[in-house]
Amino acid sequence: MKRIFVYTLLLAGVFSSCEKRVNISLPYEGDRIVVNSLIQPDSVMYVRITRSVPVSVYDDSGFEEIPNAAVTLEENGTMLASLKQQRILGRTYFVSTEKAMRGRKYDIRVSVPGMTPVSGSDTLPCAPIIGNASAQRGGSRIQFMLTDPPGSTDYYRIRVFTYGPTHQPDTIRQFQLDPTFNNNIEDVLSSYNNTFLVMQDTRFNGKQVNFVLEAKDPLIDTDQVMIEVSALTYDSYRYFKTIASQQRTATGLITEPIRVFTNINAGYGIFAGINTKRLVFTLE
Amino acid sequence: MSLATKLLTGLLVLLLPLKVLGWDWQTRVTVVVKDQPLQVVCEILEKTYGIHFSYSRELVNLSRKVTITAYRQRLKNVLEEVFTPYDIRYTRVGDQLVLQTIVCSTRTISGYVQDAATGEKLPGATIYSPSLRQGTTTNQYGYFSFTSAKDTGAYLFSYVGYEPLLQHISGIGNRLVTINLPPAGSLQEVVISASDETKIQNQTQMSKIGLPLSMVQAMPKLLGEADVMRTLQALPGVSGSMDGAGGLHVRGGSPDQNLVLMDGSPVFNFSHFFGIYSLLNADLIKSTDLYKGAFPARFGGRLSSVVDVSLKDGDMKNYHGDAAIGMISAKINVEGPIKKDKTSFIISGRRSYPDLVYNAIFKSTPGSGSLYVYFYDVNAKVNHIFSPKDRIFFSFYKGEDNLRIKQSPTDSSSQSGMKVENSKFRIGWGNTIGAVRWNHIYGPKLFSNVTVNYSEYVFTSEIWLKSVTKRTGEITDQSGRYGSRMKDIGGKIDFDYRPTPRHGIRFGAALMGHHFRPGRSDYEDKNSPVKPLDTLNTSIDTRGLEMTVYAEDDWQVGRNFYANVGLHASGFVVDGRFYYSLQPRLGLRYMLPDNWALKGAYTHMNQYIHMLSNNGMPLPTDIWVPSTQRVAPMFSQQVAAGLAKTVKDMTYEFSLEGYFKSMSNMIEPTDPGLTNFELTKWDEQVTVGKGWSYGGEILLKKQKGKTTGWVGYTLAWSTRRFPGVNNGNIFPYKYDRRHDLEVILAHKLSKNWELSAAWHFATGTPLTLPVASYHSVNGASPWDPGGIDNGGIDRYGTRYNYRTQNVHRLDVGITYTKQKKWWRKSWNFSIYNVYNQSNPFFYYLKTDDEARQRYLSKVSIMPILPSITYSVKF
Repeated sequence: MKRIFVYTLLLAGVFSSCEKRVNISLPYEGDRIVVNSLIQPDSVMYVRITRSVPVSVYDDSGFEEIPNAAVTLEENGTMLASLKQQRILGRTYFVSTEKAMRGRKYDIRVSVPGMTPVSGSDTLPCAPIIGNASAQRGGSRIQFMLTDPPGSTDYYRIRVFTYGPTHQPDTIRQFQLDPTFNNNIEDVLSSYNNTFLVMQDTRFNGKQVNFVLEAKDPLIDTDQVMIEVSALTYDSYRYFKTIASQQRTATGLITEPIRVFTNINAGYGIFAGINTKRLVFTLE
Repeated sequence: MSLATKLLTGLLVLLLPLKVLGWDWQTRVTVVVKDQPLQVVCEILEKTYGIHFSYSRELVNLSRKVTITAYRQRLKNVLEEVFTPYDIRYTRVGDQLVLQTIVCSTRTISGYVQDAATGEKLPGATIYSPSLRQGTTTNQYGYFSFTSAKDTGAYLFSYVGYEPLLQHISGIGNRLVTINLPPAGSLQEVVISASDETKIQNQTQMSKIGLPLSMVQAMPKLLGEADVMRTLQALPGVSGSMDGAGGLHVRGGSPDQNLVLMDGSPVFNFSHFFGIYSLLNADLIKSTDLYKGAFPARFGGRLSSVVDVSLKDGDMKNYHGDAAIGMISAKINVEGPIKKDKTSFIISGRRSYPDLVYNAIFKSTPGSGSLYVYFYDVNAKVNHIFSPKDRIFFSFYKGEDNLRIKQSPTDSSSQSGMKVENSKFRIGWGNTIGAVRWNHIYGPKLFSNVTVNYSEYVFTSEIWLKSVTKRTGEITDQSGRYGSRMKDIGGKIDFDYRPTPRHGIRFGAALMGHHFRPGRSDYEDKNSPVKPLDTLNTSIDTRGLEMTVYAEDDWQVGRNFYANVGLHASGFVVDGRFYYSLQPRLGLRYMLPDNWALKGAYTHMNQYIHMLSNNGMPLPTDIWVPSTQRVAPMFSQQVAAGLAKTVKDMTYEFSLEGYFKSMSNMIEPTDPGLTNFELTKWDEQVTVGKGWSYGGEILLKKQKGKTTGWVGYTLAWSTRRFPGVNNGNIFPYKYDRRHDLEVILAHKLSKNWELSAAWHFATGTPLTLPVASYHSVNGASPWDPGGIDNGGIDRYGTRYNYRTQNVHRLDVGITYTKQKKWWRKSWNFSIYNVYNQSNPFFYYLKTDDEARQRYLSKVSIMPILPSITYSVKF
């Protein structure tokens, strides 16, 4: 609800506001190793090592990679084979030889000459149980069934893709939970859509729920939709949750800035488990 | 003797004297004498009504001359009027009235001090005995009680803006009087200033500022509105939020720690337009006292400040009113007697009007919908005097801010292909306050005020949307509402007992019921086949009961040593739990040579309710919640010390104060974004911490002469520490300003012209800037749909690692006033931010994709703003 006031304040400000660049030297904590890797069960692990930059640096090229980083991975305390550097889609990744397995704990250590070594660890979550996806052509409602295991606290991320002319899920769609499904007037009032939704199972623990999403724009000019549901560990949940919060409160007008969660000791980034399942279906 | 016989005999014994004697205390008598000895009054009563007097001529002096005009008055009242001033006691013995002289070395003069022209009671007026060099002041209801030597005959009554009155009060006994002070001749109209006439060095109370309402009205206006809250922000020890926004931060405390009282009733949200304006029309205010510390025991319930606003009671003698129109709002006030000198009323209304202009222009286009953005407030008060000892007040306030949008049916050709058939949106918030007060004088030394009040704050947002998606024929018929309601219902009784000039004792009790219903939400889409995930109740419905007893004594301990000693005890019952607190209050004053006063104070304050807000800027959506098992009541301790003095017959007033305040059990959200906030579990989503603030304040006021105003300077530090925030380390408060300087001036150029200026300077507030940027990740494999990249992330390190730029601003105003035969008109021309200083409203990190740069950007919203106000008084 507060956001409504932010927008109103901003709207009011538009009529009389002026904006000026502040020429100050923004603070910089110094170069740190950034480790980014989400570990998918039954898949090799892709690790990207970059370095942090001052805030004032404009970088849309994926940040500076550290090719000479020494990266080691351990599975339940046993070191895995050396990771191989691979160039994929213009980025450099350290790729494991072995596939990650559910029920194992993984540790990573990265060292770079002249920089503080970093480390991180996590486990892998169970696969989400999903099915029965459907949507209507020209409509905006997308439905699918999610069965949440009882007992444990489970975390999820949901994304929606549509297929383009190349018959690839190349367009990520903005959406929110259907206001009726979420039973929340704030969804209608704020109409905040995002490309991903992160949640925990507090409201549906142990239940089979027919999830209903509402796409920001109606599903036209496409025949196929892909629902992606990722089960998350607590670390990967906090990572995505805080990213969403940081994006949503970017002006810092009414809230303090959000610090994105990291589980990389002495560095930044994330090394955490994820278990993604996808449902591809044709529009009715 | 049977029982019936006994009863009959008893009845006869009781009735016989009445029948035989023929008079009692209620007998109506008529006595009219002018300058005649008391003896004559006795003779009239004896001759006309058969009332016999018995007394010793040596002991009871009936030669004193009196004047009395009483037609069919009760005998008791007539006797009291003629004998009490001369210390003659009258007692009934059989059919006789026995007169005796009361042996007493003192007399007590009590009563009210009021405006001679309007009958408006004057709080803070001074009563002074020049011969004894002792004095007192009226309380907030204009009542005083002054006990002095029996032979004291002359008393000096004074008040800012009024001619001092040296009044000889006849008789040698206690007297209940009403003193009428004539407005100063040089002024065409007196604005009750409520700044105590008492010299600051003669008040034990420190850390209190009586806001001169004349200054509120003289100050440069923002968009044509004089405003109390903005004037309060110009006092040392007080700062606002962001430029142009409201909020009072008193001595490092947050806005939720301020107790705002309107005629004794608590107010939840004291602002319109996001804090730009106070919820009250400044013309209605009789007095405003700000307590920043050294809180008297009669106040409690908040940690950092008390803003005690008293509204005008209404003119008892004549009808008059005023009307004004500025750039934003128009207002009208009317007051006058319902029955002259007995009953008065005051009624006022104010509404912002730009939306009316907008709709008048644009609504002429068919199908253009409507937009209403406005605030309004209405005030009504009735004041009735039953007797010299009893008066009653009924007051009512209602104010709201509203945004209403109605969209006309559309046939969109946009990509969505959605046809809106009906769309309405409303968001509104406001206060409703009602109170009944009864002032009663029990005797020369005891006064009481009984208040029953109701205060409610409501926030509501509603939406209705009916639309059809053309492509699918899908019909949406949504309606929903979100709202919060907080209300207080309570009663209190306050006594003011002044046994001797060395003691001014106040005591009382209060009971206040709180009802919190924040976060109520319901939503329905009539045509939706979708089944809700759950029907969880996301709102709170809690009741609490707060009870208070207090006592304080303003005590002259020695010749140069004074103390205000008090104790405030309170309890709070909520959800079966009981919290309580004993809050000692101590104020000390020692008179130094050359009329300097050295003051000190210690106060302990408790607050049982918390506000869920994470930014320090009051918003209408803010929610009040009671303490829980996990989040205990807040409490603070404050010590203050200072020097004070007035010079040149109170022309100049100087005060210097230092303070240290600790605050405990404050709350801070653990998720500052509140993106997943569950109201029903709010206490699990906040961290409980402490705060400290300390600093010094200097205030130099010029109160008399053609030029008035003040210079205030504040040096302050305010910090916080919350587990889990900033790694558990201490960090500055969001509105911690190291230096704050205010210069306020009003100058009377001539009979018709008055000039005012206000210059404000404050050092920057803390700001959290990121300390690095780094790459993020989106998926497990670069081959995944959507790719693996998720752009950059800004890394935030230590909280508040930067300070915003200093802010400063000059506002000026000039008022032209012309007195006509029956009315008076005035024009005010004000300029806010004369030199168009770009003070920051907020900062953000801007990514400029075209220039391929990232930099800090400052947004300012309050440029130079001229305004004009026209007003008439009749």
